[in-house]
Amino acid sequence: MNRREFLKKGLALTVGAGALALPGNLGKGLGVAVAAPADLAAVKGGETPEMFDRGLAALGGIGRFVSKGQTVVVKPNIAWDVEEELGANTNPALVARIVRRCLEAGASKVLVFDHTCDLWKRSYAKSGIEEAATRAGAKVVPADQAEAYRKAVIRGAKVLKETRVHELILQSDVFINVPILKSHGGAGLTIAMKNLMGIVWDRGEMHSRGLHPCIADLSLLRKPDLNVVDAYRVMTRSGPRGTSAKDVTIRKAQILSADIVAADAAAAKIFGTEPGSIGYIRQASELKVGTMDLERLRIERISL
Amino acid sequence: MRRFRFRSLLVWGGLLLFTTGFFLRGQDGNTPWQFAARVQVLPALLRWGATILFFAGTALLAGRFYCSLLCPLGLFQEAVHGLGGRALPGYRPCRILRYLVLAAAILSMAAGSLGLLNLLDPFATFGRGVTQILKPLLVAVNNVPASISGEPSPILHHLPAAPVTASAFLWTSLFFLALAAWAITRGRPFCDTLCPVGTFLGLFSSSPLLSVRFDTNACSGCGRCERVCPTGCLSSGEMRIERDRCILCLSCLGACKTGALRLGMPSAGEGLQRRGLIRTVLGAAAALAFSGIQSRVEISARSEALPLAVLPVSPPGSGSHDHFRRKCIACSSCVSACPAGIIRPTLSAWGASGLFQPRLDYRYGYCQYECNTCTGTCPTGAIEPLSVEAKQRVQIGRARFDSNACIVVKRGTACGACAEHCPTQAAHMVPYRDGLSIPEVDCALCIGCGACQFACPALPKAMTVEGLRHHGTAKRPEDAGEGAVFDPIEEFPF
Repeated sequence: MNRREFLKKGLALTVGAGALALPGNLGKGLGVAVAAPADLAAVKGGETPEMFDRGLAALGGIGRFVSKGQTVVVKPNIAWDVEEELGANTNPALVARIVRRCLEAGASKVLVFDHTCDLWKRSYAKSGIEEAATRAGAKVVPADQAEAYRKAVIRGAKVLKETRVHELILQSDVFINVPILKSHGGAGLTIAMKNLMGIVWDRGEMHSRGLHPCIADLSLLRKPDLNVVDAYRVMTRSGPRGTSAKDVTIRKAQILSADIVAADAAAAKIFGTEPGSIGYIRQASELKVGTMDLERLRIERISL
Repeated sequence: MRRFRFRSLLVWGGLLLFTTGFFLRGQDGNTPWQFAARVQVLPALLRWGATILFFAGTALLAGRFYCSLLCPLGLFQEAVHGLGGRALPGYRPCRILRYLVLAAAILSMAAGSLGLLNLLDPFATFGRGVTQILKPLLVAVNNVPASISGEPSPILHHLPAAPVTASAFLWTSLFFLALAAWAITRGRPFCDTLCPVGTFLGLFSSSPLLSVRFDTNACSGCGRCERVCPTGCLSSGEMRIERDRCILCLSCLGACKTGALRLGMPSAGEGLQRRGLIRTVLGAAAALAFSGIQSRVEISARSEALPLAVLPVSPPGSGSHDHFRRKCIACSSCVSACPAGIIRPTLSAWGASGLFQPRLDYRYGYCQYECNTCTGTCPTGAIEPLSVEAKQRVQIGRARFDSNACIVVKRGTACGACAEHCPTQAAHMVPYRDGLSIPEVDCALCIGCGACQFACPALPKAMTVEGLRHHGTAKRPEDAGEGAVFDPIEEFPF
C-alpha cells in the first residue's frame, strides 16, 4: 500500500463511518473494509474468481448486495451446449465464486438458472456451470417450462410493455446478473442487458417486435442488484454461439457494476465497440435505466 | 406351481427390460441392455440378411422359444393374460390366414414397402406402444407432482410432452386395446394368426430337436395343461402338441401333476412327417426370399415420389431417403431416444409404404449440434451409428431463406435469431440497409439441423429446412480445430 492509496482508503473509511451512522444504512457493510464504493469496477489480468473478489471489494463487498436470510437468484449465460473453452457460456468458476460469496454473506438460498437455447440438461452439464454452482452450494434449476413464467408489466416501456418473466426473478430478494461478453449476429454485442433475454419465456416476441427497443425495455423490469460481466474469454465473431475456439480471444477482464447500462458500456469498450453504436445500450440510456457515459462514474480500475 | 412363478417372473422381467432398457432409455447403442433389441428377427434381418438362416436354424433345434423369451409383444400378451387370471379355453387358429399374412409381408417387402411389416411386426408395434402410450402416461404421472411441488427442481422436474403424433397414437391405441382384449380371454392367438415372425419361425418348428413331449402312459387326461397353455397348441384329449405353435413357455410342464409332459429330444421312431417336411421347405423358401430381398434393397435404390411438397428430413446416419425408407420398421426407438423430441412418427410423410416411419419435425425444436443419440439406437440399421464429430458434418437437409418473410425486411428492425442459433454459421448476418444486417445462408456449411427454422420468429417462417434425398457432407467451418487467440487487455479503454 503506497501513501496515496493509504490516504485514499483513510478518507474513504472516514466517509464510510459517517455514512454508517445514517439511519437506513445501519448495519449494511458492517465488518467489511468500508471504502467509498465505486460505481463500476474494472478488473484485468487475473483468473475469474479472484477478479470477482477484487472487483466486489471495490464495490463495497458482498454485504452491500446480500444480507442475511435473503434469497438470491444468479443468472449466468448458459444458452449453449458447449464447453467453457468456446466462450459461449459464462465462466463456471466465476459463477461458483459468486454463489459462495452470497452464501457466506448469509443468503438463505442461492438459485441459478437460464432459459437456454439448446436443451437445458445438455447445456447445464456441458457448460460446467451446473456442477460448479451446485458444488458451491447453489440450487441449479431448469427453466424450460412455460408454467414458471408469469406475466409482468414493464413500466415505462416503449414497445415491450408486458412479457412473461421467470418467477424466480420476480420473487428473489437479490438478483445477480452474470453475462459473458460476446459478439452477436443480431444485436451486435451480447452483454448484461441482452443476457436478460434468458429470464423471459418468449424470446421470439422480442425478435419480431424489434430486438433493440425490446432489450432496452426489458432492462426496466427488474434491474439486477449486481452485474458481473465475464470478459475473460471473449467471442469476437460468429457469436453468440460460435463455431470453434478460434472465435475466442482470451482477454482476462471483468466488469462489475450495479448499473447495467454502465456495465454494458464498459464491456463494449473492452470489445472495441463504441457503446453508442449499439442500439439497446443507447436506448436504455435514454430510458434512464442507467448511464453509458463512463466519465460520470466513479470507476475503480484494478490490475492483477 | 414353482415353474408358473418362474414364468411370470420371466415375463415381467423381460417386459421391464424391453421398455426401460431399450425404448425408454435408448441412449447408448452399445449397452448390454440393447442386446435384446439386436436379436429381434425383423431388425436383425434388415441389418444382416443372412441372420434369417440363423433364426431358422434355432427353430429347427428348439422351435419357437424365441417367441416366449425374446419377443416383447409376446411377453406383453402373456402379462395381460396373467393379470386377467383366467383359464384358457384353447384356440384353433385359422392356418391359412397366417400363411397369407406371411406371404403378403414377403411380397410387399419385395415390392419395396415395409408398410405391412410395420403394422404387424411384434417388435415395432411394441415400441410404438411404449413411446405413444406408456411414455406419455409416465410423463403425466411425473408432471402432476412436479407441478404441485412449487419451486423448480432438477429432480422432480416437469418433463416435456412425449413425441406423440395423432395418427400413430390412434392406431397404436386401437391395436393395443384389441390385442389386450384378445390376450386376456385367449392368451396369445395373435402369434399364430397375424404375426409374420411367429408364422415364419413356426415353419421350421414342426419337429424340433428339443420340444415338449407327451408320455401317453403317464397322462391322466386331466386337462390342466390345456388350461394354462397360452397358445392353445396342446390337446390333452388327443395327447398331441402342435409344435409349430408351441413357444416352449413350459407352463404345461408346471401344471402337469403326473409327469406326463417332458422337455426332451425325440424318442426313437419319431421321424419327420411329410407335413413337417413340406413346412420346412416352405420356410426355407421364405427365408431365402427374405434375405434375397433384403440384399437387393441395398443395391436397388428406386424412389417413389413423396406426397409432401417439402421433402421430409430423415435422421442423421440414415444416409439417404431410400435407405431409410427401406430399413425403418417404425419401432420408434429413435423417437423415444431423441432428447429434443423432434423425431416423430408420421402417417405417410414417407409414402404409403413407410407407415409410421418418423421424420425430424422442426416445429418442436431442432437437432442438437452436440448430440448423436439417435444414431446409436436403431436396431435395423436404418440409422447407422455416427460419432458426434461425423454427425456435425452430415447434411440432412438444407436451409432456405425467404427474404420477403424476414423480420428485418418486413419491419425494418434487427433480428438475427437464425444466425444466433446456427451452429456452423451457415446462416450468418451480412450488412443490409440503415445499419441493419440480414441473414445469408452458405449451403456448403449448412447441415440442415433446423435451428434457424425453429428460432425464426417470423410467420410464415423466413427460414425453412428441406430434407436432402441423399445426405451430404458439409464443409468444415474455417479455422475449426485451432485454439483461442491469447491477447489479454493491457490498458482499460476507458
